[in-house]
Amino acid sequence: MRPGGEVGSVRRTGFIEGSVHSFLRVLEHTLESEELTRRAGLLQSLDPRVKLLGFLGLIVATAASRRLEVIAAVFAFACVLAICSRVPLRTLPVRVWAGVFAFTGLIALPALFLTPGRTVGLLPVFGWPITEQGLRGAAYLISRVETTATLSILLVLSTPWTHVLKALRVLRVPIVVVVILGMTYRYILLMIGTAEEMFESRRSRMVGKLEAKEGRRLAIAAAGVLLSKTMQLSGDVYLAMQSRGFSGEVYVLDEFRMRRRDWSWLALFFALGAAAMWIGH
Amino acid sequence: MPAPVFEIEDVSYSYERVAALDAVSLAVPAGQRVALLGANGSGKSTLLRLLDGLCFAASGTVRFCGQPLTEERFADETFSFDFRRRVGMVFQDPDVQLFNPTVFDELAFGPLQLRWPRDLIRQRVTGTLEDLNIPHLRDRMPHRLSGGEKKRVAVASVLILDPQVLLLDEPTAALDPQSQSQTINLLAGWKDTGRTIITATHDLDSIEEIADYCFVFQAGRLAAQGVPAAVLADADLLRRTGLLHAHKHVHASGEVHSHPHRHHDHS
Amino acid sequence: MHIPDGYLSPATCAALYASTAPFWYVALRRLKQLLTTRLVPLLSVFAAFSFVVMMFNLPLPGGTTGHAVGVSIASIVLGPWAAILAISIALFIQAVFFGDGGITALGANCFNMAVAGSMVAYFSYRVIAGKCPIISRRRVLAAGIAGYLSINVAALLAAIEFGIQPMFFRDASGAPLYAPYPLRIAIPAMMAGHLTVAGLAESILSAGLVAWLQRTHASLLSATAPGATAGGGEGRNFGWRAMRPLLAGLAALMLMTPLGILAVGSAWGEWSPRDLADGSARQQIAAASANRELPPGVPRGLERLSSVWTAPFPSYAPRFLRSASFGYCLSGAFGSGLILLAAVAADWAFAARRRSG
Repeated sequence: MRPGGEVGSVRRTGFIEGSVHSFLRVLEHTLESEELTRRAGLLQSLDPRVKLLGFLGLIVATAASRRLEVIAAVFAFACVLAICSRVPLRTLPVRVWAGVFAFTGLIALPALFLTPGRTVGLLPVFGWPITEQGLRGAAYLISRVETTATLSILLVLSTPWTHVLKALRVLRVPIVVVVILGMTYRYILLMIGTAEEMFESRRSRMVGKLEAKEGRRLAIAAAGVLLSKTMQLSGDVYLAMQSRGFSGEVYVLDEFRMRRRDWSWLALFFALGAAAMWIGH
Repeated sequence: MPAPVFEIEDVSYSYERVAALDAVSLAVPAGQRVALLGANGSGKSTLLRLLDGLCFAASGTVRFCGQPLTEERFADETFSFDFRRRVGMVFQDPDVQLFNPTVFDELAFGPLQLRWPRDLIRQRVTGTLEDLNIPHLRDRMPHRLSGGEKKRVAVASVLILDPQVLLLDEPTAALDPQSQSQTINLLAGWKDTGRTIITATHDLDSIEEIADYCFVFQAGRLAAQGVPAAVLADADLLRRTGLLHAHKHVHASGEVHSHPHRHHDHS
Repeated sequence: MHIPDGYLSPATCAALYASTAPFWYVALRRLKQLLTTRLVPLLSVFAAFSFVVMMFNLPLPGGTTGHAVGVSIASIVLGPWAAILAISIALFIQAVFFGDGGITALGANCFNMAVAGSMVAYFSYRVIAGKCPIISRRRVLAAGIAGYLSINVAALLAAIEFGIQPMFFRDASGAPLYAPYPLRIAIPAMMAGHLTVAGLAESILSAGLVAWLQRTHASLLSATAPGATAGGGEGRNFGWRAMRPLLAGLAALMLMTPLGILAVGSAWGEWSPRDLADGSARQQIAAASANRELPPGVPRGLERLSSVWTAPFPSYAPRFLRSASFGYCLSGAFGSGLILLAAVAADWAFAARRRSG
């Protein structure tokens, strides 16, 4: 469930605006990442494989930790990395923290008084008992989600997406999957453009509100057009690939070079991850 | 007359029972620049695909340098590699041609398939980008390219293999006027390079610059052939094959003026 | 239902990755063999399609909007194995690039939506659609039901994954380390949203797209319709049309089940040994039986035989649900659903026999 959940607005026109809004958010996110990956910051200067392995290790350590202090420490480290990588101050809070806090916070709220244990207070107005275990449980959940979300977005904000994909090979992900992921991403952006155009053109021709039934028909028609474009595109791209010599073998060419600095940082990430795992247990 | 690089004998092809090509025969000599003229749906795009070995004729033969192009032949890796290096095609829709996530990956795709050494590939990518004046687009993603830039990347992705034959499907379609003229300049600049260039187009204004010989298609059949000047002079032919149309406008006085598209003499 | 990181323990995540990996492996191998060079362009473009479709806000009856996943239409057009990969790819990009869904939880999300979702969608579609012609209305219904079932099964799996966390993963003080709600809360909480909103959104998308494809590109539906009879839209399927009033009546009855909660006490003659042993209950029984005297204690035969069979959902209230009334409604929906499915299956089985016989 994405933050905000799946039950949307009750406005009759909400459907078109909602969909277009999602498309625009995706495009904005892509633009912002592309811009940030070009800045001269700490993380941007590291080899993508180091970042991938390092962050993955930290994410796993955060997930495994049984101690809030360890999670908090990893979070602090992530924030320091963000600052050193010229991530604008409002990016993390606006893009990640607020959404996670609202969504996971809401989910965790009932746990405060539903979790059995030692009572430490009463919920105002309703008088329901808040337990210590409930508080800790909520704290674990929220802090874990915030920290892991911060780490994964830092990876993406500091590394061009295609480099993240190519770095996956270090995890033994099959090359064909890496190639498919790259092509999927490329065509997602094309299709979002197509879908957005379809919706915008309908919106500009709209007089008054759109009934739910009409809206459904529009959504299905848009999905249908997109589907047939999908099949058409798949056939055409297949020919284009063949024309350039594709016969089933997939290759990836990267320009990754590990320098001394990269090895040092890899060692640092490894040490931090190991420490977090050990202390957190 | 140099040996023909392509020979097409009595070729027919249909899509779902609609005949796209009907008993077409022609030959393209090596090193010549040829234009396939015809309105949309006349069969010229299909012919290009047959020439590129992407589909195979139901009847008749397509020969490349004397060798027939059949599905079985392409199953042979040696033949396939050799053909793909020597013949390159630029598709009409750049979004179909640019299927890699970055320009760098796009240019590297062909050489990677042909298993060139990695260092050579990197070198050639840089070189080709410079040749086409687009080194700044190296790490760009296709959706961030303008129409003209996409076209140049598409051409680059094929040129990097240094093919003997270039097939171009409607190279100026959907481009803004400036990009159109840039593309035409590019094609015109290949005169006398020894490359065989086959362009499918319906843009009459450019063919004298980009081609030395034309084949005119109509409804899947070869309607006429000749040098560009001769073809362009035949207004009747052009009208019949849907390449020319007359504009009519009515003045307030009631006069009707009819203006066929004219080709401007640049000499 | 994209599970973020932090809700599931690493052990659970690892177990789910391990459960999904074999499906990925088999799917990739089968598709490579089947599609060879077409594998890359087909999967990429279809994954892109499902990613974009996941962003559509679909207006639902009732004034709300919901999001579909697209797993059922993927299974119907491409078959289950390609759907598993295409949806997994879309989920990967959502998780890693857009932060929608966790990275450690990716295995879980893929297991629930891509694997279980595809399999349930494909098999229910095949069972319900049977051999009917590609353009028959029954396929539209089959697609709708397949969509609904696949999303709800995925949601149920997610709910179970959440619900078992507090059972196994607590810290020294007893505080839950991951998802804090036990099964009896997690399941109704998850299912409520999906039985109503998400399931409907998916089923509308599937049914709508199948109907659209039937009009425009019917050939795209043939991959998952082997042995479909040729022919027009009616054929054997007039039965469904004529049944509409019946189905409407059944639906109305289903909607009235909550009325049963208002009933007081237990039905006459349906007493358990517990009722007959309890003093106040005995008085109620006597009052309902024209004040006849009850036999003393619990009849021995009743006591002996009552333990022979324990229903999975005794008193229409599954054990893990706190609220008896919600359990009642859920049981109603579940029961009718089972009966409908059994009826459809029986119809299919008999039709098959009739055709071959």
